[in-house]
Amino acid sequence: MIQKMIRLFGGYVKVRVEGYSAERFLNLCSYRQIDVWGLVSRQNSYEMYMTLKGFRRIRPIVRKTHTKVLLIKRYGLPFFLHQNRYRAAFAAGALLCTALLFFYSGYIWDIHFEGNEKWTEETLLEFLETKNITPGMPKKNIDCTQIVKDIRQQYDDIIWVSASIDGSRLRIQIKENEDTFLQGNPKETENQPLTDAAETVSAAGTDLVASANGVITSMITRIGTPLVHVGDTVEEGQILVTGRVEILNDAKEVTGYQYEQADADIYADTQMEYEDTISRSYLKKIYDPKRTRDLVYLKVPFGKKTFGKILFGSERHSYKKWETYTSEQQVKLGENFYLPVFYGKIHIRSYTEKKALYTKKEVQEILSLHFQHFSEDLKEKGIQISGNDVKIHVDENLAAAKGTLYLNQQITRAADTEILEIERNEINESIGTDD
Amino acid sequence: MAFFMKHETDHEPIKERIVSAANMPKDVMLGASVLTILGNFEVCIENYRGILEYTDTLIRVQTKGKQIRLSGKQLQIEYYTNDEMKITGKISSLEFCG
Repeated sequence: MIQKMIRLFGGYVKVRVEGYSAERFLNLCSYRQIDVWGLVSRQNSYEMYMTLKGFRRIRPIVRKTHTKVLLIKRYGLPFFLHQNRYRAAFAAGALLCTALLFFYSGYIWDIHFEGNEKWTEETLLEFLETKNITPGMPKKNIDCTQIVKDIRQQYDDIIWVSASIDGSRLRIQIKENEDTFLQGNPKETENQPLTDAAETVSAAGTDLVASANGVITSMITRIGTPLVHVGDTVEEGQILVTGRVEILNDAKEVTGYQYEQADADIYADTQMEYEDTISRSYLKKIYDPKRTRDLVYLKVPFGKKTFGKILFGSERHSYKKWETYTSEQQVKLGENFYLPVFYGKIHIRSYTEKKALYTKKEVQEILSLHFQHFSEDLKEKGIQISGNDVKIHVDENLAAAKGTLYLNQQITRAADTEILEIERNEINESIGTDD
Repeated sequence: MAFFMKHETDHEPIKERIVSAANMPKDVMLGASVLTILGNFEVCIENYRGILEYTDTLIRVQTKGKQIRLSGKQLQIEYYTNDEMKITGKISSLEFCG
């Protein structure tokens, strides 16, 4: 193997030797230490391989032995170079390609996140951008430990971060604190900073008021004075728990008020009107399978500019109305080496519009699907649906789903407590006179 | 005459005797050719003078003193250098002559 490579590097030839004393030619070759191999006897001649170096030295032997040497084939690098001597540009291109590949591999082309659920990739990418970490930055400027520290500092509920460079990709593995969003109720997390902020500001209290009409089914008060009971009918805006706590003297007279951030879980049966109307007539798109166009393009973002080229197909068309679908992919070498080149496919298809009417069945399906989505949304918000009497009415042109939803939900909303100033002033004055 | 006779007969073996007594390799000292035969398809010859004849059925190689005749079918010289050659093919006989 190695010998073959050495021979290819130095170059070798296949020759045919004819003549009266071809054997003598062979003996002289070996005497002069000219490498000969693959010797085959043909009719009245020999075919053999010899090194290029040896071939240049056989002239005196040929003359001495009166043989005729015919060069049959050339092999190896010297001949290859000679053949391609006018293709210097090609060689330069290949060299440039290698150099560019080497140069570009010194940059980060992709940032990959793993394990993030709550924090989206976009949010994290934006955050990293503020720390000057973006795709396309030199690899040597990346400090993985600093990235880890920054992320941990910024996001409290990310409990573990690991950053590593994997080829031309920056891989960030994240472990989020799952307990924080297992509670499911987004209000909780929203309330947290509110109370924290209120504690520092203090003074002004907050009430909990009803956010909808309903009948209270359960009530747990933690802070504040409850003003309603289970079974009461409340109206929207009515104060349910006040943050104003009365301070009584020995004679059970109100001498002052203390203001707190009222906190309670109050659930009530509420009703909600549901109405969803759709028109039965719509514009139906009729696609023409023959009038479509497919394009393949290549895109190279360069700084803020983008260079694109359509490789296949034409963008021009004479369609009156059309839809365009684009799918784009980034070119990568192997699994992790992302190149700054994108390619994609554009599919354009022509259509004509035609007025059409939904059938009764279709319209019912659409409306029930809408209602289903609506119910799911409510459930996600933590609202229970205890019943509904939604009915679908189909007219000639319109179709509507109408009815009442019977819900059970938390109906508290925070509102500022009314501060009763006058009595406070009186106390202050009296204290003042005492002093 | 007897002395002369003895001298004549002892002349060759003396060299051989010295070589074997001194435990020296015979191929180097006497120029004997070394033949390595692998099955009937490969022969390696070292210490030879040159090729006398080469066709695909017969190869004659000159060594010091003797001639080696190698006959067979599809004989091919794999490589041929100053001190070693390798012959492949279907070898049927190998003999020393003249």
